[in-house]
Amino acid sequence: MKGLNRRKVLKLAAATAAVGTMPVRAYAQAEPLRVGILTPLTGAGGNDGPRMLKAMQAVFEEVNKAGGVLGRRIETVVEDDQTNPEAAVRAARKLIEVNKVPVILGTWASAVTAAVAPVCWESKTFLMTVSGADTITLLPHQGFLIRTQPNSKLQATSHGEFVASLGSKRVAVIGIQAPFALPTKEHLDTLLKAKGGAVVSHVIYEKDKTTYRSEIDQAMRSNPDFLYLNGYAPDTVVLLRDLYRANINLGKFCQSYAVPQATLDTMPPEVSEGVMTGQPSADVESTAYRSACARLGVKEIDGYEAQATDWASLTVLTIAKAKEASGVALKENVRKISQGSGEKVYNAIDGLKAIAAGKEINYEGASGPCDFTDIGDISGCRFRYMKVAKGKLEFLKLV
Amino acid sequence: MEVLQLILNGLMAGTVLAVPAIGLTAIFAVLRFTNFALASHMTIGAFAGFIANTTFGLPIVPALAAAFVVAGIIGWMSDEFVLRPLRASGFVTTAIGSIALTIALENFVRFGFGNQMRGYDLPLRRDWVISGLRVSPQQFENLLIAIVVVAMLFAFLSMTRTGKAMRAVADNPMLASIKGINSDMVARLVSFIAMGLAGLGGMLSGLDTTIDPLVGFRTILSVFAAAVVGGLGSIPGAVVGALVIGVGEELSLLVLTPAYRTAVGFIAILLVLTFRPRGILGQRAY
Amino acid sequence: MEHYLVAMGVTAGIYALMALGMNVIWGMAGLINLGLVGFFAVGAYTSGILTLKFGWPILAGIAAGTLVASLFGVFVALITVRLRGDYLAIVTLGFAETMRIIMSNELWIANGTDGLSGIPGPFRQALGPHAFNLQFLAIVIVAVAILFVLLQRLTRSPFGRVLRGIREDEQVVQVAGKNVVMFKVKAFAVGTAALGLSGALYGHFTSYIAPDLFAPLLTLYIKLSLLSGGLGNNVGAVVGAVLVVFFLESTRFVIPYVPELSAVQGAALREILIAVALLLILRIRARGLIPEKVGDFPLPEPTRASQPLKP
Repeated sequence: MKGLNRRKVLKLAAATAAVGTMPVRAYAQAEPLRVGILTPLTGAGGNDGPRMLKAMQAVFEEVNKAGGVLGRRIETVVEDDQTNPEAAVRAARKLIEVNKVPVILGTWASAVTAAVAPVCWESKTFLMTVSGADTITLLPHQGFLIRTQPNSKLQATSHGEFVASLGSKRVAVIGIQAPFALPTKEHLDTLLKAKGGAVVSHVIYEKDKTTYRSEIDQAMRSNPDFLYLNGYAPDTVVLLRDLYRANINLGKFCQSYAVPQATLDTMPPEVSEGVMTGQPSADVESTAYRSACARLGVKEIDGYEAQATDWASLTVLTIAKAKEASGVALKENVRKISQGSGEKVYNAIDGLKAIAAGKEINYEGASGPCDFTDIGDISGCRFRYMKVAKGKLEFLKLV
Repeated sequence: MEVLQLILNGLMAGTVLAVPAIGLTAIFAVLRFTNFALASHMTIGAFAGFIANTTFGLPIVPALAAAFVVAGIIGWMSDEFVLRPLRASGFVTTAIGSIALTIALENFVRFGFGNQMRGYDLPLRRDWVISGLRVSPQQFENLLIAIVVVAMLFAFLSMTRTGKAMRAVADNPMLASIKGINSDMVARLVSFIAMGLAGLGGMLSGLDTTIDPLVGFRTILSVFAAAVVGGLGSIPGAVVGALVIGVGEELSLLVLTPAYRTAVGFIAILLVLTFRPRGILGQRAY
Repeated sequence: MEHYLVAMGVTAGIYALMALGMNVIWGMAGLINLGLVGFFAVGAYTSGILTLKFGWPILAGIAAGTLVASLFGVFVALITVRLRGDYLAIVTLGFAETMRIIMSNELWIANGTDGLSGIPGPFRQALGPHAFNLQFLAIVIVAVAILFVLLQRLTRSPFGRVLRGIREDEQVVQVAGKNVVMFKVKAFAVGTAALGLSGALYGHFTSYIAPDLFAPLLTLYIKLSLLSGGLGNNVGAVVGAVLVVFFLESTRFVIPYVPELSAVQGAALREILIAVALLLILRIRARGLIPEKVGDFPLPEPTRASQPLKP
């Protein structure tokens, strides 16, 4: 299964390379349009970076096949951020100063994004990220940054409503030490209190431990009726295993990026049974979501793949709209294609056609409507809730 | 009751560290440097066990054996071709060189297998509950494995010719060479056994967590700490050190938040070393 | 390209400052300090907090960062004075990790894992990014030059000779009537001051610091800088730092030419190349590219004293 995947990726890479060397069609002579991708390929984020990268490259490949943008082929320049702010800053400088990319897509860790963002805005390069820390969009980025991940308030509020709708009153939050840890807990608590419940305990743990038994015991002492696990994949797996061993059969909610199908496949099905998760999403029957799944050849994509799909599409459409590939053009035009009263489009190809036909468009993405506030946060989105049954994610509801 | 459970949890966490810590300390006893390449050999062992288990359908014990053998062979080769030539330039150069080596090996694994997480095809068992205290069967077995490993090492070191030769080299390399003990052979053997143990430890750790190229990296600091606390070069010390680190981190939860666990571990190390600058059992190699 | 080279020049300069500082502690006195990044963090946070939250001038912030890091150095030296070799290594490593954990958990000090954004840089707004980087390159070069000259003098001074004596044989120095503890503490004070300085400069250069920045990886890069340049030797420290940054960066440009690689394989191959290049240097030039010249001292063997193995 995994081997097959790798082979597919290799083929895809080879195909992209082949497209690159062929002197084809309209963009035969034009300089390729370089897009920077800075995502974790090694280090703690290494589990998520490659998935996002693949989703972005799939979109760009599709666009290239359809003739590129502004008559130019899109060429991605990929650098590894090593999940380390110092290394990421060096990589970003290379992308900006050597490759002259107008946009950098894909930073993951909040500290990496916060470190790279000043380099970007100072050199007028646009940045799209998945980092969830609330402080990211509060940086003085002058508009050179958008993030498709809902901030912790949007997320926690929706998750909280979902948890409350299950009839849970006493929620224990067990989360990794990260910028989103405290705000998430506070927003959850506020919402639950309004519904007659509360967060009864909040345990923050350290990453990279081989067991979290005592953390679980500590949370259980507050006698909760529901567990909200706020961590990344490696530590969430340890938590789920320890919960199973301890025979704790409470309802559990995990972040969608912590339990994508690939992660669930690493556990015996009884361990993940009943885990619930939610991710920012488009409508149920959204063609954006479905076409992203089809493009990647999977049944359900996770939140990161959906967002990566949207970054690539937004980049292409904004450049087409602005008729110029620069950071400033991206900054000034991204909202002209992502929101407003234009014709709704659900993927880059349709959007390009509509722009070519002179229409106003409003891109509706795989991760949601992709409408951005002035500071670069998404203004709202639906959440797709899923539940694990027999080791597989099954759709529950859309809120 | 809470305290008892914390101590139990600490012992169980410690057993995962014990086996690789024995490997680290064994290399130190004979070759006199801290071999940080242990981290990547843990990862290699975890992956070797994964292939044995999922591709060849082997149950846990043969898979553990595969983890031991594969990591051991790679450990022997990497010492022979990469670290041995560095030893002439001093122990510190070798230790730092071993960090570069571990980065290279970790990335060989990444190159071949990618970053995605994997899991063994082994069932997970519920805890045993004994008069209100929970014990995990898996971790109980880990403890047994650690005990068996120590017992076998002891038997090997004290009863076999080769074992006695290794002890001689550990005690006094100069004298050993005068007596005609082939220290190169001993170095190969200790690298094989120690890195094999690292591989075993990697797979044990992978049973509790996930298997990816970072298996060893995640635990190497704790393993190093365990070996130092126990006394570098002392095999029982490594086991004691691992349990001290495990229990110390857990007991800290009585007064501090779990987010400070590692920091407490280091403070425990500082305390131990203040009173015993060479670790708890740092007086003897065996 | 030239703007990129300037930025990497600043990085190399900051690495060189760290390598020079480490050279006093490790190269000269033979004390293994794996907590380098912790002192770097102390310098960066001190200067960052003072300039950002208390409005200190940048220069005063940098001076304070240097001083406070040095005080932490003295503190760590005092509590570890009986330890040598790997025992000292684990405690200093623990110090760095503890600093990182404290800065992650204590939100009130500097926003925890969110980090400290918007640390001022001299004339950042007025100059624009390119001129700012160029200016900072000048600042860093001057800092390296001054530190280099000072440390060269220190190396040749009686103080430097005593440190090397401690490295070779602590007992002999003791017998010669020198206060070994005092000298060790001073070596830590000087070395960690340089680490603090580099941390403070880094913060003012990039404008952002966070606990994630202070991962052990950076410590390794500096260790490798020293070893490949030539331990115990200030020229070697600077050359090694430049070399390491060269390896880190040049490998980026090589990988795209390897066909049929997935992105992850490319990233893995890049790290393999960096590690192999450094291992080759250690192998071919056992004492670094520019070996220590002062006197003719064999390399330190700090683990010797931690050999308790009595039959």
